[in-house]
Amino acid sequence: MHTVLLRKLLEALLTLFFATLIIFALIRLAPGDPVRLMLGHPGEIAAQGTSAYDEKVAELRAELGLDRNIAVQYVSWLGRLAQGDLGTSIFTGKQVGSEIAARLPATVTLSLSALLVQIALGLFFGMVASLRSGKLADQLIRVACVALASTPAFVVGLVALALFAVKYGVYEISSDFSAARLWLPALTLGVLGAPQLVRIMRANLLTEFGKIYVSSAQSRGLDRKRVVRHAARNALIPLVTMVALSFAGLIGGAVVIESIFSWPGIGKYALDSILVKDYPVIQGYALVAVLMVVLIHFLVDVVYSALDPRIHHKGEAGREETV
Amino acid sequence: MKRRFNSKNPASLIVGVVVLAILAIAILGAPLLAPYDPVAQNAAERLEKPSEKHWLGTDRFGRDILSRTLHGGQTTLLSSLLALCAALAIGLLVGMAAGMFHGSALDHILMRIIDVLLAFPFMVFAMVIAGLFGTGLVHLLLAVVSVWWVSFARLTRSVVLHAKNETSYAAAKVLGASNLAIMRKELLPKAISPVLILATFELGTLILSIAALSFLGLGAQPPAPEWGSMLADGRAHFFQAPHILIGPAAFIVATVLAFNLIGEGLRDRLDPYEKLEL
Repeated sequence: MHTVLLRKLLEALLTLFFATLIIFALIRLAPGDPVRLMLGHPGEIAAQGTSAYDEKVAELRAELGLDRNIAVQYVSWLGRLAQGDLGTSIFTGKQVGSEIAARLPATVTLSLSALLVQIALGLFFGMVASLRSGKLADQLIRVACVALASTPAFVVGLVALALFAVKYGVYEISSDFSAARLWLPALTLGVLGAPQLVRIMRANLLTEFGKIYVSSAQSRGLDRKRVVRHAARNALIPLVTMVALSFAGLIGGAVVIESIFSWPGIGKYALDSILVKDYPVIQGYALVAVLMVVLIHFLVDVVYSALDPRIHHKGEAGREETV
Repeated sequence: MKRRFNSKNPASLIVGVVVLAILAIAILGAPLLAPYDPVAQNAAERLEKPSEKHWLGTDRFGRDILSRTLHGGQTTLLSSLLALCAALAIGLLVGMAAGMFHGSALDHILMRIIDVLLAFPFMVFAMVIAGLFGTGLVHLLLAVVSVWWVSFARLTRSVVLHAKNETSYAAAKVLGASNLAIMRKELLPKAISPVLILATFELGTLILSIAALSFLGLGAQPPAPEWGSMLADGRAHFFQAPHILIGPAAFIVATVLAFNLIGEGLRDRLDPYEKLEL
């Protein structure tokens, strides 16, 4: 048990390490000189080409350590990351780490609420579809799911905004992080993610219904509701991974919804920074997003090895199971 | 439980193919079919609502949205298709190599790379690329290819691992076939059909993702008649003139729907590995 968890932990750390390597490499490969960008405000641009300007560039370069060996730079960068120092924004001069930390609750709240909506819809409609398998209700749910899965998130978001904010006036558009503003973006994001869950829930339930224990329970004359309840419980286990992974997806996918609803989360912060090429913020956002995903994957592995004793002795258990 | 979505559903395949065919004809035939020049501006007809003259209305420069959507579809669909093919090729290659040499150092390294890339949500990765290298369709497609091959590689690898348990594989081994010959003759044909089914679904997802990023202003930039840039443009005027956005969005929905329906239809018919995660 402990060795498995330890290996998972090492794997997660290794993934994180490589991810920092990729992000560092991308920043190095990016066109443009970060030092000149940092000195980019108008007064300095006027001074460009003069020896005073060049001196300033060299000075800042030395100050930032950008004149050192690339490996040394990477290690010292990693060292600062480990202490939670994500650098300062070129644009605002504020600490990226604290700026992201201030916006993280908004994104996490939105994603978690959306996840709850998604699970509720997924369980309910998945259950209905499997119980009415092949009948009209099942067909309707299936059509609705395919249609929804084919619609861009921003269309759903804009339509929701046009209806609830403009037409009925029950939703107020502003950029505060408040409970009163949460319901519409959460609902939108949850509805968008639901089709996938509905399909998997339906498929899992149908698989369970086809198993021997269900028919034997039925032949013993067990109450239909109780049989369904048993089957549902078994069908839920594989859903743990699905839900956790879709939470990871939500963190990235929330960007569109955050942008449409002016939700003050990290996605919107990153988006605003991309438009002004604020490198440290983009880098910080990527690091935080990756950290969250790796953390969630690790937690899934932990939960799984606690739930399923078969996993313990296999190397890549969670993944191999799909083979 | 062999057929999850029962075989009573050839309908989805047929509907998907018909919708896709109509779209393909309309888009590829845009130079002949489009009623107006996609870039011709007309100050007298700005932001007009859909009418008999302009079926999908006009944008803020008085350009005909239907013509722009039809012309724009060429860029959008061809570039998505190109990106998908590149991702598909990389995925097949990596997946076959990893599966063929299962448990070797190569397999471990490849799986490690896949794990790392899986930790990057696609949207985040694309945003990083756009932020560091600049916005635009080419960068967007590069971001797509560098992340998207992973799903094909994982699927191919698991198909290959399955196939290695089969008698025909053992026979080929015993008869002394080279690894390369086995990969080409034995494993590739088995991998190709599930991977293509996955690709049909992924193409829909890909078009949606590219649309989302374009909507956020990270894709093709406005003057080009391209779906993404039309979306970005339409966003700014959505509440005064929703039709600017609705036109291209409707085409995106139809295209993605067609691919999803075809994917479902194909999966019902072909998939020999029902249990593989698609």
